[in-house]
Order: sequence, then structure tokens, then C-alpha cells
Amino acid sequence: MNSNWVKVIIAAVFEVGWVIGLKHSDSLLDWALTVVAIVISFYVMIMAGRELPVGTVYAVFVGLGTGGTVLAEIVLFNEPFSVAKLVMVGILLAGVIGLKLVTNDTPSEGREA
Amino acid sequence: MAWTALVFAGIFEMFGVAMINKLHQDRNWQSLTLLILGFGASFVLLAYAMETLAMGTAYAVWTGIGASGGAIIGMLFYNESKDWKRILFIAMVLGAAVGLKLVS
Repeated sequence: MNSNWVKVIIAAVFEVGWVIGLKHSDSLLDWALTVVAIVISFYVMIMAGRELPVGTVYAVFVGLGTGGTVLAEIVLFNEPFSVAKLVMVGILLAGVIGLKLVTNDTPSEGREA
Repeated sequence: MAWTALVFAGIFEMFGVAMINKLHQDRNWQSLTLLILGFGASFVLLAYAMETLAMGTAYAVWTGIGASGGAIIGMLFYNESKDWKRILFIAMVLGAAVGLKLVS
């Protein structure tokens, strides 16, 4: 897998962290970690767009962050599980894999891919 | 008023995504500043809209406008691929993200 796609995934993992942080932080340390996670996730996401198309990177960042947050809330915070959620996470992952397959990983000049 | 704020939040998010493109092109502080201001304004307006609107609805509309608008700007102004397969997969990802925000 191209390292730029790894960056998008890392950015999304930190995104899940800060979305949970925004909702559940109740100490100064929690808030500090949340802010650090926001900075890291945006920095890594923006860097992934240096070689991949920015529109694709941002859509995947937002999508994986949302899907990951929903799953994390089900696992960690006892949010209700539903088949509808699982189906949508499935569609989301299919879309991400599709984007990975149709995106030229190493455009030589500019970001035309 | 909340809905107006939400639409502008989406527009500022589109602008922020466009500035990521511009930053990679120009590599200067000006683009970075505009990027931060764009996302900053977007988050402030989103937070304001969420005081009135349901959180899931507000997030879904914000994501839908900002991320799809950002992709469209990329295609129009930054030579991103207009391949129908790319558009379809972006629509799947964003459609699922919007759906998840509405049901959660």
C-alpha cells in the first residue's frame, strides 16, 4: 500500500480520537490530548494530499473518521448497535477501497490523477 | 438563522479544502493562514448551528456540503480526475458518512 494511503488512515484514526475527545473530555489532560489529536490528524491528512487528489483524501478522511467513530462508540460507550449502521459502514469501506483502486498513487506531475 | 449559519459552515469547509489544494501548489504562509481561517470559521459556524439544530442533522449537512463541494472544486480548479468511477466512490463514501450521522 502506498504510504500516502497509510497517512489518510492514520489521520482518520486520530480523527476518531478527537471526535470522542470533544464529546467525552472532562479534564485538562483530556482536552490537551484532544487538541493534540486535532493537530496531528489535520497535519497528516493535509500531507497525504501532496500526492493524492485532495478531494479524494478529504472524503476518505471524513468517511473513515465517521465510520470509525460510530464503531468506537458502539464498542467503548455502549451506543446501540444497528444493522443500518453496519450496512452503511460496509458501503463506506467499499467506496474507500474503490477510490484506492481508481486513484493513481504516484502522479509524476501535479495531481491530475 | 441556524440553517443559514450551517450552510455557510459548509461553504467555509469547501473553501478550506480548496486551500489545501492551494497550499500544495504555492507552499506559502498565506495559503496556510487562509486554510486555518477557513476551517476555523467553519467550525465556529457549525458549533453555532448545533445550538439550535440536532447534532446528527447538523453534522450530516455540514459533511455533505463541505466534502462534496471540496471534491467539486478540486475537479473544476485543480485538475482532479472527473472519472465517473471516482465520482461514484466519493458519493458512496460521503453518502454513507451522511447516513451514519443521521442515524447516530
